[in-house]
Amino acid sequence: MLTAVLVLTVVLPAVGALAVSGLRPRAVRATAVLVATATAILGVWTVTLAYPAAHRVALGGLPWLSGAAGQGVFGLLLDPLGSVLLLIVVVIGLLTVLYSTASVGEANRDHPVGPEDQRRYYFWLLAFVASMAGVAIAPNFLQLLVFWELTTLCSWALISFYRNDQSLRAGMKALVMTHAGGVFFLVAVFVLFVRTGSFEFSALASLSEGARVWVFAFLMLASWAKAAQVPFHTWLPDAMAAPTPISAYLHAAAMVKAGVYLMARSVSAGWAMPPEVAYVCGALALVTILVALSFYFVQDDLKRLLAYSTIAHLGYVLLGVALGGLGSMEGFRGGVLHIICHGASKALLFFCAGAVAYATGTRSIAALRGLGRRMPLTATAFFVGVLAVTGIPPFACFWSKFMLFAGALQFGGAIGPILLVVLLGETLVAFSWMLYVGQQVFFGAPSPAAAAGADPPLAMRATLVLLMAATLVAPAAGLPLVGLIGR
Amino acid sequence: MSHVFLLGLAGALLLGGAIVSLALARHRILSGWLAFGAATAAGVAVFAVVVDTFRAGAGQETVLLRLPVLGAAWTVLVDPLSAFFLAIAAAICVLSALFSVHYMAHFERDSVARFYPVLLVFLASVVGVLVTTDFLFFLVFWELMTLTSFFLVTFESESRTTQRAGRKYFIVTHAATLGLIAGALVLWQTSGSFHFGAMRDALATLLGTRPLVGNLVILLFLLGFATKAGVLPMGDWLPDAHPVAPSGMSAVLSGALVKIGIYGLLRVFCGFVPVAGPVAGWGIVLALAGTGSLFVAMPTALAQTDSKRLMAFSTVGQIGYICLGLGVGLYCLPDRPALAALALMGALFHTANHACFKACLFLGAGAVLYRTGERNMDKLGGLGGAMPVTASSSMLASLSIAGVPPLNGFASKWLILATCLLAGMTAPLFLVLGIVGLFISLVTLASFLKVVGAVFLGQPSEDPRVREVPWTMAAPQAVLAALCVLLGVFPQVPLRLAHAALASAVQIDLPSSQALIGGPWTLAPSIGGLSVAFWAPLTIAAALVVLSALAYGLQRSAAARVRRVDVWTCGEPHGPSAVRYPATSLFVPFKDAFHGIYPAVPARAPAFPPALRKALDLDRWLFMPAARAVDRAAHGVGLTHAGIPQLYLLWIVVAAAVVVAIVLLAS
Repeated sequence: MLTAVLVLTVVLPAVGALAVSGLRPRAVRATAVLVATATAILGVWTVTLAYPAAHRVALGGLPWLSGAAGQGVFGLLLDPLGSVLLLIVVVIGLLTVLYSTASVGEANRDHPVGPEDQRRYYFWLLAFVASMAGVAIAPNFLQLLVFWELTTLCSWALISFYRNDQSLRAGMKALVMTHAGGVFFLVAVFVLFVRTGSFEFSALASLSEGARVWVFAFLMLASWAKAAQVPFHTWLPDAMAAPTPISAYLHAAAMVKAGVYLMARSVSAGWAMPPEVAYVCGALALVTILVALSFYFVQDDLKRLLAYSTIAHLGYVLLGVALGGLGSMEGFRGGVLHIICHGASKALLFFCAGAVAYATGTRSIAALRGLGRRMPLTATAFFVGVLAVTGIPPFACFWSKFMLFAGALQFGGAIGPILLVVLLGETLVAFSWMLYVGQQVFFGAPSPAAAAGADPPLAMRATLVLLMAATLVAPAAGLPLVGLIGR
Repeated sequence: MSHVFLLGLAGALLLGGAIVSLALARHRILSGWLAFGAATAAGVAVFAVVVDTFRAGAGQETVLLRLPVLGAAWTVLVDPLSAFFLAIAAAICVLSALFSVHYMAHFERDSVARFYPVLLVFLASVVGVLVTTDFLFFLVFWELMTLTSFFLVTFESESRTTQRAGRKYFIVTHAATLGLIAGALVLWQTSGSFHFGAMRDALATLLGTRPLVGNLVILLFLLGFATKAGVLPMGDWLPDAHPVAPSGMSAVLSGALVKIGIYGLLRVFCGFVPVAGPVAGWGIVLALAGTGSLFVAMPTALAQTDSKRLMAFSTVGQIGYICLGLGVGLYCLPDRPALAALALMGALFHTANHACFKACLFLGAGAVLYRTGERNMDKLGGLGGAMPVTASSSMLASLSIAGVPPLNGFASKWLILATCLLAGMTAPLFLVLGIVGLFISLVTLASFLKVVGAVFLGQPSEDPRVREVPWTMAAPQAVLAALCVLLGVFPQVPLRLAHAALASAVQIDLPSSQALIGGPWTLAPSIGGLSVAFWAPLTIAAALVVLSALAYGLQRSAAARVRRVDVWTCGEPHGPSAVRYPATSLFVPFKDAFHGIYPAVPARAPAFPPALRKALDLDRWLFMPAARAVDRAAHGVGLTHAGIPQLYLLWIVVAAAVVVAIVLLAS
């Protein structure tokens, strides 16, 4: 039963993608929403069914791969960590599709999209959902690698969706940089298989000390590139050339989250992360947080600002994961919880930025003033998003950041308190700037660009309202799941 | 009915009211009435809890939600200390909601959808803060309170000053909250729990094992709560945020919000810090901070011409008095519990009193603003005749805040200053602080004489718009003014409640309230058989009444004629506004003497070094050059594919030669 539902969660959006590409333009949207809704229901259902245990099935092997120690090479695994990812993948996937039905169309002032392009759009989007779901329920590194590269492919196609010079370039950049990371992933998997004869996550623990350092270092490189961490952070802001719902999905649930998920998976499989790698990972995560913060103040494009914020928050997740690798359970749980909390908040912020661009045709912070009067719902949602993403209680990221702070402090010696102070400082500065931007854009006397402002169509409004609720619900859904993760 | 049920009912009423008033926000007045109704209903439920708590003592602690992952649980308990502040906050919020019904109608461009629902959620979060006994959930409500109050302060969406002041408020207080989070986490590391009791034990342990860290945690708590309370210099947000908020909200800010900071200080310093430990030292710190605050803020208040900004500075000053009282109390707590109790009671009483008169004053300023659109006292004057209720309420509140007997401000300041001077018998520092406090009391009187004189007195205003405000705005002022008188004449009642509140909060046994308060009609505390701080308000009030009657009788019997003529200068009559003595011209030498006591430090973001910006732009010096290098290399390799078959044959031959060479050499 559970197995069938799980398989369906991946297969359904994939089939939906194929179906959509053959439909008449008019039926495309309805089909896409239908498929995404069914996927979301299936995904949430499996998570509740599997809770609190982990569900693992072997489905088949490769006959010629004789070394694979008697276990199936392909299969399914749904444990609390995968559940966290699966939840945001399917739920935010549904919301993205719902939002796109209104936002990706001819009425969009920022980028009108004709009906003939919609098939392509929904094909890739549903394929994206399918491959991300595949990442979430992959039982071993090999299968994870396959779906991982599929997400790279989908994001390449979606980032380049408008097919203008800028977006083609950005798509290529994203593809090259993340795929370069993917090569390291491939090497890591290869070394793992040669040394242990297995692709299992748990095989990491049985590697020899020396090999483990290298495998972890390669996995870390792969996840950095995917999660846009310093020094590979430059592709993500450029990827803002994508349609806004795609940016939202890319940042909140897909692609970059696959990067941090890989690291979380590697660390939690056997808790065998070598401390030196963990230190490097944590240190670079901290550097990423600060570097990304430093880019906040020079952004004029709302979406680029949000992109840098995503980079910083992925740094938080990786920091938590690194803390977990060094023995702080609270930090690891906080990091994983941050995946879901940040997902809800960042999706909300991107959808708001999309609503602003949809109505006014611009995303320039300097050009937008006093939008709140004409777009009250969007303004409310944006402020909720800002408060949620910067960790103001009772909204989402407060809970995950709080656990991260606790995890940081669990570190003995001087590092813990210093880490805590740095994180608190970043939180304050990021919050101040986001609040400032929110006030600039939505308060004040309306600017000419804001004159055209109006709250977006129903489907987009509904998405915003649902996500506002999600910023409150996300920690409640995530806390029981991350509570199960442990040694 | 259990406390939790009543509190839950209040919460449900407030949230339900928020939703309904949001839905009906198009109808400004109706939405306001709904909000007032919800606040009142919730206030009744809260008062039922308050009354029951003072009668029967603290109830049972109830666990509402558990978060085993973090070792936190949402526990709720109303003890008399919570009840004391619940009463203040609920009363002020309800009265402000009533005041706002018509007041908010004059903001034509901003929808009240951003006011009433937020106000109700704000009240709910205040209740949450006061009844929660788990620090994690306390923080959740605490920041919910901050963020709702931020949106209330920034209600006027198009004003840049408003937005800037609101931002400053949110950022400064959020920084303080982050400090609280850090402090709580350090204690959590020791105890594994966020429950107040566990945190108290953890702090005691920490002070024993690592006193430096323990005191650092106390400092973080002090900064966190003192920032919200508006103690300088962290309270610098307060003089900016109060004037720009809608007046109903200014009253709530001064009357309820900053008081929650005092609640936090009391919780931590009475409940957490062990009496045998460093509490006396922190008492000195608090007393110094309070005195510094009042010494800087009150002369600055005197120099203001914006009525609401003046009142905001005076809030900082009065919070300084409260902190002075707290400091004296904490200093005396280990050795002289009776004196400590008196000082703390004085501080708590002053908290309640300040809520009454400052809320009344802000509402009065709001009423003037509503009729004249003006906060600048230089442009106001002579409103007393046209706005009798507002004028007399503000007058009473002004006398109260200045500490004129027999009003309530006198009673509480008397206790604070008397205990401060008594403590000064052994610690001369407090003698100095007490004298500073006495002196500043005079400055308070001067500032509010300025307000009353400049706004309400003088030749009647010629402005035709000026008349009394609607009863919904006048009634709250009148109620608060009446409270000022009642609390002043019967100080025993609030002091008994304050005693109960303190007895539940401090970790030692206090002397009985009978010994500390004394007789039924007078305030006759005795410490070790010695009578201190005696105060008989009724006698003074009676004397005042008699003397006033006598003076009035004398005037009537003498039948002196009052002659009213226009003011003439240079042969011309001048209107009242031309000859009025403006507020700026008052107390000029004094203001000169204290000029610059409140320095304005312009906050500027540090410039980001361009070199670092370039260094961080990895695309520029790493990835794009690398991509171009790869491109060039590929181009170079591509040159070998010239399309000439002979050339390809040559490559094959060369390659074969290389392979053969390698094989030969290897073997």
